[in-house]
Amino acid sequence: MRTSRFIGQSLRAMARYKMRSGFMMLGSFVGVAALVAVVSVGKGVERKVLKTVDQLFSASSVFVVSGGNMFASGSRGDGGRLTLDDIEAITAEVPGVEVWDPMQFQNDAQVHRGDANATVRLVGQSERAERVWVRQVVRGEFFDASEVAHSGRVALVGPAAARTLFGDDDPLGGEISIGGSPFRVVGILEAMGTDAHGIDRDNEVVVPISTMMRRVLNVDTIRAAKILVRDPSQVPVLAREATRILQERHAIAAGQPADFNIITPLDVQRLVAKSQRIIFVFLPLVAAVAMLAGAVVAASLMLLSVSERTAEIGLRRAVGARPRDISLQFLAEATLTTLCGGTAGILLGGMAAWVLGHRIGLESFFSWRAALLGMALAALTGLLAGVLPARRAAALAPAEALR
Amino acid sequence: MIELQEITRTYTPKDGPPVHALSQVSLAIARGELVAIVGSSGSGKSTLMNVLGLLDRPSQGSYRFDGEDVAGLSADQQAGWRNRRFGFVFQAFRLLPRATAIENVALPLLYSDREQIDGLAVAALASVGLEERRNHRATEMSGGQQQRVAIARALVTSPDVILADEPTGNLDAKSALEIMALLQRLHRTGRTIVIVTHDAAMAEHCQRVARIERGRIVADERIAKPRDAALALASSSTPAALEETA
Repeated sequence: MRTSRFIGQSLRAMARYKMRSGFMMLGSFVGVAALVAVVSVGKGVERKVLKTVDQLFSASSVFVVSGGNMFASGSRGDGGRLTLDDIEAITAEVPGVEVWDPMQFQNDAQVHRGDANATVRLVGQSERAERVWVRQVVRGEFFDASEVAHSGRVALVGPAAARTLFGDDDPLGGEISIGGSPFRVVGILEAMGTDAHGIDRDNEVVVPISTMMRRVLNVDTIRAAKILVRDPSQVPVLAREATRILQERHAIAAGQPADFNIITPLDVQRLVAKSQRIIFVFLPLVAAVAMLAGAVVAASLMLLSVSERTAEIGLRRAVGARPRDISLQFLAEATLTTLCGGTAGILLGGMAAWVLGHRIGLESFFSWRAALLGMALAALTGLLAGVLPARRAAALAPAEALR
Repeated sequence: MIELQEITRTYTPKDGPPVHALSQVSLAIARGELVAIVGSSGSGKSTLMNVLGLLDRPSQGSYRFDGEDVAGLSADQQAGWRNRRFGFVFQAFRLLPRATAIENVALPLLYSDREQIDGLAVAALASVGLEERRNHRATEMSGGQQQRVAIARALVTSPDVILADEPTGNLDAKSALEIMALLQRLHRTGRTIVIVTHDAAMAEHCQRVARIERGRIVADERIAKPRDAALALASSSTPAALEETA
């Protein structure tokens, strides 16, 4: 039989048995949709994470985070005993440190301006933050060392916080109130969007670290510090030395749980790799299971179809179909059906990824590899589902099938 | 054209003694004949039809078609023969119910190795007078119309022989006559037609009647003046007359 006549008739058969085709498509449809959506969103998240990681964890940086909890869940600061003196001790003792910046913060801090209220992430940093965290001010200026030394009441506002508090007014030189004290806005921070932790970095207000510790929070600890070394190869040395110094200063015996975390770019890479494994191995596995279930459904429907269509098979044999024509017919019907399901799945999965990505603030991304893999899996599902029914159909003797 | 020599077909059920559906059947059919094979239910007439149409293999005996031994062909070769040489018409029409008339007629062309198939199905449908119903589904047609579609399907590959198994068995008297008239018309254009039927009255429309009983041919006679179905159809105006004619 000619291929074009053959595909045409398989498509017509699909159209004739709409219900059966629909159910057969379901498995590959759901499987491929899940695969494409998950991998596309996963890729979007990966890009976002890598971008954030790039921003935060350059190859020559070491993080010191307060608290004994893992970095991935965020530093909670409870029981943290990390101080500015700790970090100064590390940077004084270990050679090769280029620059460092401490950090203290308060989520959901209330900031006012007249009648306008904003709930922001209030961050305390040093004048070196601009260099260490690579975040510029787009208008105005970063506060300087003397403001940090004197706990000055100056603030940098993110674009979102600025809009909430100032509306159409120019925030530069304006006054805002934090914890009842007036602060002067000296700079507008560059926009960064939402980071990998879901924190809206544009809704931040940054004040000098000293001001944050003494005037706002009244604490003598910091949450974290980022230390940059001149030579990336120094990172492991710094991490090891920092651990030793902090254990000594905090009187933590060997084997005791630490009340701090040292995080190097390598740790972050491991963490990213781990999450990638989850996204790119585990979740597609779930999709594959969905497709397998679909294949079982498709196979049983095809088998049922063979017994239902025995008379048709007999007729086709009578008018000249060879056993392999019958076999190919059922195989093609199964495969074309699952491929149609797969195509619809790619459309839905792509749309779902777009909508989902849009909602959680990712750049939209469509994984062609997932789509191709999905189609390959859909075709395989069809072949697997069709092979047994096809063999059974082809084995029918014409006279018997016609009876 | 067709030569059966001492054909035997024996079925061996899982439990029970062997069944001899055909025993020592010899039959020769010449090109252009209109033959009826008449027998009661279980006489072996359908088995004979299946053997003639290469739908079943004889257990013993020889089957020559135009001098060629066809009983020994492979399954694929037999499929090709069925496609080119035979057209089948069945009692229950056997149309694909969800397909249109034209799709049903075109079905054998799917398995044909011909280059040009465009227009063949339409022409076949036109030859049975159903061109205008080409896009109607089988389920939307009367029994007589469905059987005409089935005959068009049998004609579409221009086969040498048309094998019709109880072609009027599921039809009322008038439709049965119409189908018979159609088969007679096809015969007059030179086609070889073999009709298997239990209905002796229908057999009277054929040139030759072979009677089969318990798997053997017991009589084979020529009819000097076969009844003309078209004439009967035209002259019958009342249902009673129709019944009589049929």
